[in-house]
Order: sequence, then C-alpha cells, then structure tokens
Amino acid sequence: MAVRRIEVRERVMARNDELAKEIRKRLAEAGVPSLNLVSSPGAGKTLLLERTLEALGRELALAVVTGDVQTENDANRLARHTDALVQAVVTGGGCHLDARQILTALEQVDLARTDLLLIENVGNLVCPASWDLGETAKVVVFSVPEGEDKPLKYPKMFREARYAVLNKIDLLPHLSFDLAQAVAYAREVNPGLRFFFTSAVTGEGLEEWLGFIRDLAAGEASA
Amino acid sequence: MHEMSIAMEVCRITREQVGDEGCGRVLEVGLEVGDESGIEADNLLFWLEILLAEPPFCGARPGLRRVPGDVLRVTHLEVEDGGPED
Repeated sequence: MAVRRIEVRERVMARNDELAKEIRKRLAEAGVPSLNLVSSPGAGKTLLLERTLEALGRELALAVVTGDVQTENDANRLARHTDALVQAVVTGGGCHLDARQILTALEQVDLARTDLLLIENVGNLVCPASWDLGETAKVVVFSVPEGEDKPLKYPKMFREARYAVLNKIDLLPHLSFDLAQAVAYAREVNPGLRFFFTSAVTGEGLEEWLGFIRDLAAGEASA
Repeated sequence: MHEMSIAMEVCRITREQVGDEGCGRVLEVGLEVGDESGIEADNLLFWLEILLAEPPFCGARPGLRRVPGDVLRVTHLEVEDGGPED
C-alpha cells in the first residue's frame, strides 16, 4: 500500500494562540490592560493581590481571574477585599491556565467598566510559560525562601515575563539569600526585566508596585 | 509538566488532517520539539505513545525531532494512501 506524506507544519500552540489573540483584541477594544501573575506555589501571589485590591480596589475597577488546581480558596480570599468580580477557574489538576479558560471567564466580566484585569495563574513555574493568555504582560513572582537561583532554574518563565516581583523581603535578615545575585541571575536570562521588591506581609516595597498598577490602569505605564 | 495537554493537542491537529476514520491509517506523526520549548521530549513521547495507540490512530508512531529554539510543531503525517477518495 502506498504511503503518502502530508506536510502539516502547524504549531502545537496555534489554537491557544488564536484564542489569546481574540482576548488581546477584546481587551484592547475596551482599553483594559492585563497582567498575568505567575509563580511557584506559595510565593505570595494571592496575598500580593489581596494587598493590591485592599489598597486600590476603591479607586480602580480591578477585575480578577484566578486559577486554582483544586479549590476556590484563592478566589474566596480575594473576594473579601473587593466588590469587583473575582472569577475562579478550578483547573481540576491542570498545571496552567489556557486562553480558552480566560475567554470563558471574561464572559462574566464587564470590560467596559474595568480599568485593569489581573490574572492569577496556577502556582507553577513551568507550564504557564507556554500558554499565552492574551495578557499585556506576565509578572513572575518569586520569594526569598525559594533561593536566588530560581531564574536560572526556570529561565523560560523569566524570559517570558516583563516584570519580576521578589516577595517576602521581610525574611532577608533571617535567610542566606543573596539579593544582588538573584537580580543578576534574572537579568542574565532577561536583561529587560523590571523588578519590584516587596513584602506582602509587612507592606514593605508595596508603594512602588501599587504605583505601577495605578499607572498601568491609567494607561500611563508602558506595559 | 504539561506534556499530556500537548500530546492531546497533537492528536487534535492530526485528526483535523485525516478525520476520525480509518484505524491504522496514520503511520507516523512527525514533530519538531525545540530545546527551549519548555517541553520534555521523552515525556511527550511517553504520552504520544499512549494516545496514538488508541483509535482513531491505532498505533501511529510519533516521530520526534529535537531542534534548537522554542519551536513546537507538527511537521508532517505519514498516512496509508489506500482510500478510494484519495
């Protein structure tokens, strides 16, 4: 029997990327910038977002889509701090959010009355790097107890991100974490990364982060 | 870590090309996997072997080629050219 060769040359991520393009178009039409927060589990994404909603939730219409593997704990925590809509996506074991889930979640968000969309991805530094969610930029959050070599261990994620938040800086006096080295490692894989140094627990360093969120929502940041 | 999702998407792309009919019609699914694609080639191979063993593929073999960069794509299919419509 004859064997025929079909040339395909289709990128495996093509379908996700089409949906991401649709999201990007809708957000652009509504003038809504968006951040996709990625980190390993326990780096402090949810608390950072809680602090952000607490501080800015009254002056800005912040919509949040949060992905959790098995619970709605993060969404419940976030909903306590805002009247704005918090959309929970339970991935049922999936290690990342994809564009289809965001598109579905956005059906519940009134984009015309939204200043900024925050997406809290599933805690994982591998998978979410591969899925474009149509966001303006990715923010990689990592924390002092994780060690300074995170950027070298997960270079794809640090390359994909435009912003890095080093969280839990209140623990610096207690741990042997070399901050300059961490920044140097991160810049080695992505020289253009803009850094924020925060402690979501003590509030240290949050001003600069909140200022950035404010500027972004007002269309003044170059994200 | 998400190699199974990727393997499922590879199967979807393959079905789009050849349809659901013809168990065993697809002989090979050719892929390029980049070093920086975030995909572990051996793990992807593991999932593809499992998924491609099932209908409608019924034993198509995954042909993985590792390449530089962040490429991740289905390059070609080898199919048996036996159908009357061909």
